[in-house]
Amino acid sequence: MSNTKSLLTIEDLYASVEEKQILKGLSLDIKPGEVHAIMGPNGAGKSTLGYVLSGRDGYAVDDGSVTLNGEDLFEMETEERARAGLFLAFQYPVEIPGVSNLEFLKASVDAQREARGEDAITSADFLKEAKAACKQVNLPISFLKRGVNEGFSGGEKKRNELMQMLLLKPQLCILDETDSGLDIDALQVVAEGVNSQRSADRSFIVVTHYQRLLDYIKPDFVHVLSDGKIVKSGDASLAHELEAQGYAWLQKEPAEDELEG
Amino acid sequence: MSEWLESAITRAQDVNDWLAPKRANAVELLSNTNWPTRKTEAWRYTPLRSVERSNAKVITDVIGLSPVEVTGLSAIELVFVNGKYDASQLSKILPEGLSISLGQDLEGVQKAEALDVFSTIKPERHLFGLVNDALAQDVIVISVTEGVEITQPIRISSLLSQGAESHTRVQVSLAEGSRLTVIEDVQASGDTLNTAFVEYDIAKKAHLEHYRFALQTGSNVAIGGSHFNLRDHASMHSTIVAFGSDLSRLDTDIIHAGEFADAKLNAMYLLDGKELFDLHATVEHAMPNGTTEENVRCIVADHARAVFNGRIHIHRDAQKTLAELNNRNLLMSNTAEINTKPELEIYADDVRCAHGATVAQIDKQALYYLQTRGVSRSKAQVMLNFGFINELIDLMPNAALAEWIRPVIRERFAQMEVN
Repeated sequence: MSNTKSLLTIEDLYASVEEKQILKGLSLDIKPGEVHAIMGPNGAGKSTLGYVLSGRDGYAVDDGSVTLNGEDLFEMETEERARAGLFLAFQYPVEIPGVSNLEFLKASVDAQREARGEDAITSADFLKEAKAACKQVNLPISFLKRGVNEGFSGGEKKRNELMQMLLLKPQLCILDETDSGLDIDALQVVAEGVNSQRSADRSFIVVTHYQRLLDYIKPDFVHVLSDGKIVKSGDASLAHELEAQGYAWLQKEPAEDELEG
Repeated sequence: MSEWLESAITRAQDVNDWLAPKRANAVELLSNTNWPTRKTEAWRYTPLRSVERSNAKVITDVIGLSPVEVTGLSAIELVFVNGKYDASQLSKILPEGLSISLGQDLEGVQKAEALDVFSTIKPERHLFGLVNDALAQDVIVISVTEGVEITQPIRISSLLSQGAESHTRVQVSLAEGSRLTVIEDVQASGDTLNTAFVEYDIAKKAHLEHYRFALQTGSNVAIGGSHFNLRDHASMHSTIVAFGSDLSRLDTDIIHAGEFADAKLNAMYLLDGKELFDLHATVEHAMPNGTTEENVRCIVADHARAVFNGRIHIHRDAQKTLAELNNRNLLMSNTAEINTKPELEIYADDVRCAHGATVAQIDKQALYYLQTRGVSRSKAQVMLNFGFINELIDLMPNAALAEWIRPVIRERFAQMEVN
């Protein structure tokens, strides 16, 4: 492995929701340009990881540390984390009637540009960019005028998340089960969008239950998350193993060890 | 009885015009009315101190005032200045099928009909509706001929100069199958008192698009009513936008007097400072197969007070009624106050009815979602609060009005944030 500085370093992270421990000593190191897949059964803590990293209310960090570009992530507010380059594509994006998608996108981009000390983008220029992004994710332009995610289908919501990613150009993208509820065509659109954004300085955490997505987004590393920590890591081939075996072995492993012993 | 009401009654007794029998009736009812106190249900949260203390006077001097410009609206302008109708501001040529007259100028059958209809749609229980019956200065009568669609909206503006008292009255009748848009607006300069009542008779298969803007703020007392009578297959779409003032009170009555009538009412109000706004909305389903959809949203900041009373009354014969009332309120400060009371009275057994009222802080999930995109918490709050109202602006059928009111509300909102 190269000596490049890490983009994200998670060390021995413990986190809980409503007093219930969900993450139990999770460690992960991500360098710029890498794509890490996190797989695991339901209830392993996959979505919790995204929420903890983005600073959602009610997700308490009990122990451990996370740095983004060497900065302590937990010292930052949710919006500061976003401005520092963290992006979470939601499994269930929130509907906000009354706030137009375009207004929402512009407010997001404006806030991030301002934080970076860049000049504000003009409305006309932004509209051009937004239309291009809309086209790239295969959403009709009219979706810019609609309320944020309001009445969007599951697939449209996921594509809208992707559109935000294209416009915000984050350094670290966490895709939380972006494949759930998508048919194969929508999956390809999302995967193409993600692949178009892969670069030497942008990293991805692809959280998924199924190996299918990883046929389209090729990961550099695959990690298996079980009961709040990473129990196995490998390259892309690990995903295929999981596909063949399922997750049942995770529960059985201790028993098998005993038998072998 | 209050001094103010006594003086109003005395003044009304001096008026002798074509409305004399109606005025006499109102005076009689008023004489037997108890001035509301905190124990009077209809005025429980809306004390009338500001009326009692008002020094507003009827101003007879001619004062030139004109209504606010709304780009792209190109309305037929009906203007009251300090309660007097200013005929010079009306377009000389009206579209075919539309007639607009001063009640007193009508003749023969038309005058008799206008007198007959006067104060029959507005229920007698409205105290200031009776005051308006008794004191209305000029009464405008508008009618649309059978089957005619008037595409140009009519805007009725009541303009008040500093310290003025005014009582305006309009009655509108839409004949069978006709369509009309009416905008009611009040603009007051301060220390004013006005009552503004409009009655709408919407005949079979006719459609009314209606707006009422109550954007007076500050030391103004504004009390009014919009009252609608829907006949068979008649429909209406009404939008109310209000800010508060020392005392602002609006009563709406929608009467399903025919079958298969359809009513939509969207009301939004944004209150700041020590303002008060009170909306009493009543829907009477007297006949079967009617539909009503009512959305009322309210944001209250600082020390302001909002009152909402939404009553839906489904009579015994009004089977197959579909009625929905949704009232959502947002509080922006600990000292703001909301008094909301949805009332459903159902006497028919085969109806679908839903009502709900919520008083809430902002949606935490939506706030978090915006923050994960880099938007600050405070900016996200403004966006969400505005979005809450904007949803209803999006439902306004008239694009010019929506484009006009949106920045007005946005500016109001920014001010509420500061306080």
